[in-house]
Amino acid sequence: MALLQDNAAVGEAAVEALIARFGEPDWLAEERRAALRTYQATPFPTNRDEVWRYTQLERFAIDGLALVDGPRDAGVADRIAMRITDSDAEAAMVIKNGEVVHRAGRVGEPGVVFTDLRTALRDHEALVRRHLYSVVNATMSKAAALDAALWTNGTFLYVPRDVEVTLPLGTFTTADRGGLSAGRTLIVVDVNAKVTFVDEYTSDPIGERLAHHAATEIVLEDGAKLRYVSLQNWSREVVQQNKIRARLARDARLESLTVSLGGDAARAEVEVDLEGPGSESEMLGLYFADEGQHYNQYTLQHHASDHALSDLLFKGALRDASTAVYSGVIVVDPGAQKTDAYQTNRNLLLDAESEAVSIPQLEIKANDVKCSHGSTTGPVPEDQRFYLMSRGLRPEVAEHVLVTGFLYEVMSRVTLPRVAEYVERVVQAKLGVPGVKEKL
Amino acid sequence: MADLFPQDAHPDAAKLEGLRHTEQYSFYMPENYAFRSEKGLTKRVVEQISYQKNEPEWMLKFRLRALEIAEKKGRPKWGPDLSHLDFDEIYFYIRPQDRKGTNSWDDVPEEVRETYRRLGIPEAEQKMLAGVGAQYESEMVYHNLKEEWEKKGVIFLDSDTGLQEHPELFKEHFATVVPPEDNYFAAVNSAVWSGGSFVYVPAGVEIDVPLQAYFLINAQSMGQFERTLIIGEPGSRFHYIEGCTAPTYNSDSFHSGVIEIIVKERANVRYSTIQNWSHNVYNLVTQRAIVQRHGSMGWLDGNLGSKVTMKYPSTYLMGEGAHGEVLSIAFATDGQHQDAGAKVIHAAPNTTSSVVSKSISKGTGRSSYRGLVQIHEGATNARSNVECDALLLDEHAKTDTYPYIEINEKTAHVGHEATVSKLNDEQIFYLMSRGLPEDAAMALIVRGFLDPVAKELPLEYAVELNRLIELEMEGSVG
Repeated sequence: MALLQDNAAVGEAAVEALIARFGEPDWLAEERRAALRTYQATPFPTNRDEVWRYTQLERFAIDGLALVDGPRDAGVADRIAMRITDSDAEAAMVIKNGEVVHRAGRVGEPGVVFTDLRTALRDHEALVRRHLYSVVNATMSKAAALDAALWTNGTFLYVPRDVEVTLPLGTFTTADRGGLSAGRTLIVVDVNAKVTFVDEYTSDPIGERLAHHAATEIVLEDGAKLRYVSLQNWSREVVQQNKIRARLARDARLESLTVSLGGDAARAEVEVDLEGPGSESEMLGLYFADEGQHYNQYTLQHHASDHALSDLLFKGALRDASTAVYSGVIVVDPGAQKTDAYQTNRNLLLDAESEAVSIPQLEIKANDVKCSHGSTTGPVPEDQRFYLMSRGLRPEVAEHVLVTGFLYEVMSRVTLPRVAEYVERVVQAKLGVPGVKEKL
Repeated sequence: MADLFPQDAHPDAAKLEGLRHTEQYSFYMPENYAFRSEKGLTKRVVEQISYQKNEPEWMLKFRLRALEIAEKKGRPKWGPDLSHLDFDEIYFYIRPQDRKGTNSWDDVPEEVRETYRRLGIPEAEQKMLAGVGAQYESEMVYHNLKEEWEKKGVIFLDSDTGLQEHPELFKEHFATVVPPEDNYFAAVNSAVWSGGSFVYVPAGVEIDVPLQAYFLINAQSMGQFERTLIIGEPGSRFHYIEGCTAPTYNSDSFHSGVIEIIVKERANVRYSTIQNWSHNVYNLVTQRAIVQRHGSMGWLDGNLGSKVTMKYPSTYLMGEGAHGEVLSIAFATDGQHQDAGAKVIHAAPNTTSSVVSKSISKGTGRSSYRGLVQIHEGATNARSNVECDALLLDEHAKTDTYPYIEINEKTAHVGHEATVSKLNDEQIFYLMSRGLPEDAAMALIVRGFLDPVAKELPLEYAVELNRLIELEMEGSVG
């Protein structure tokens, strides 16, 4: 069993250097110091810990990596520039190794704040202070503690009461050097406001290993609506751990999509606390692991209030000796009556060496509920392949069609055509469909 | 011997007040034991057990090795709360009156027969049933095996006698399916096992009438560690049934059995058990079958009683075309935690399995399904399907589902589905509008929910199950 080693660079000196470098306010400095103490007091997970049982821990190792301190150069990679040109986003931002290197467009709706966290701390300190660490905090895991202590930059998005932002907003988090890095996203959607936000992680080949930590905090006030996409398509030297957690007040609605396509290994924890009656959470996930990639998707649908709904669908395909773990739990608290909670995981195994683990779980402590979960794992259906071949398709083409169709069920539920097109292109490039390059 | 060890006082009626089922299910007989080990789990106790049983040297060594393993392993850190289970307060071995197993119903002690009567098992039924091994305390005291089976070479004995009379056969298979290293409670059982059944069915022999063993706990704070070993030779076919009901005593009791089943080529073995231990028993059982080529193993696992049950019948499909099936029902009422489930390991091509789990939680009861489906590389075209349905009867009832699915084979087809629901108000309303009182309506719906399992049971068990459900549902309104 692999035991993870600590990184000597993660310590008081690094935290104090960050605080001094950015001239951070005292409250934040104290938060960082406390987070570091929590980090130091928390052991690294091992395979004996239930939620890390199937994780190839050594692939997430951080020892020996230097803390990333800004990009090598401030240029924007073509792949990102073209995505921005091509997108229908109202505004976008590129954060490279913790530094904002590009801003495009601006948000027209009044009072909306869409900027990086460093700028937000300067211009909207009270707002940041009220919500930062309120959803994802250091006590949740070793990785969350590391992020809380050492995050350098990230996105801050605030949509005021009753404001609807019509077009999507997005941040590209990218890197051109390896090491150990931590970023953060904080989204606050006020009463009856509405917005779509895309968090994309992408890079050209870096040439050295990068261990990126991300924490995504989402606060949805009464009646707030958010469509949130987390799209991970890092180059193959990168490993990422991301905890995405949302807190939903009365009648709030979250539609989330978590996509894992890139990197060497990635762990996404997608969690919602349905704290208000009538709140709803649609949780979609898509992953396609090839060439030995290792993905972990851990989900939580926490029904703390009555009359809430959550509906989860995670679909994944695996090939080339890849491994994927889906583990999700629906928790219904005592008193959370009239809960509707659903959870589905489907895996497609494209070769014998790949391994899929699926653990859909229920913990129900109220009786007037409708809860179900389902999981299936299997190969590309032979009869479907046969049908397509009988219509003249070559075997590999038939497989491309069927894998794309299998994953498309997830994308069809997301009304973001540009994101869907891009995901489809990356999937086809991974499948080796002739003429499709992943770029753009 | 009988006087060497102090007898516990006869529990007074006041102690039993407040316990559920004090009407029909609170029976206890005066204790009258020939030998009882000291309390606690120690090397000395293990040596005493082996000495009392006059066992061969290898078994004593095995027991002592298992004890060492148990000491190293420690209790599992997952699952239900076992913090109230104190080994130092438990007798690990009691031998009823130094008596050898008997062959005739008339020889069965009156108090055992009285217990059966209280359970509602008529004597006529006993006689009709082919062979009955009743485990009263730690040892089988009653055996009756039909003559024609003996002619066919069928062996159905208590495990202690099995070890004495068929040492080679016993040693060859014992602990090959569940080694003491497997888990903590299997190690404890291996150290102190006593009683259980030894079943051997020769090649090609088919038995139509189920083999049955009833056994009971009757000594306060006494652990029961039965060890059952079932061997189905190639082409054999039989059904083994075990039911147990315990009197309600008021200090925690501990039951930790190990069931080992070997299903050889083309053999077809069914193992059915409905446990209805009193609500103070910790029931922590390891049940496992190994299935060879084209063999078939079926488990029916019913959990109605006990305070805490941890039981996950597992099936290792080792040979091509092997098949495994588990039907599991659990009924958790106030204060009970039924942590049951199934494990199926597909280790060969064209293996198939199916698991159906039905659970009901009532009052503050909690029922959990914990399962594992594993498809190993090379187990081509393996198919497995798991269905779990949970019914919640009250606001405070709880249910969990923890299915683990590990797939390492491209051609595997694996599915899992679970649903959780409450009693349907419309159905209750309909039945009441037809004149049924509310509790009868609820009981009817619950029986309907369990019907897919009940119809797999032999008639007398289905009747008993229905009677138990009705009892559980009594007074559930208001």
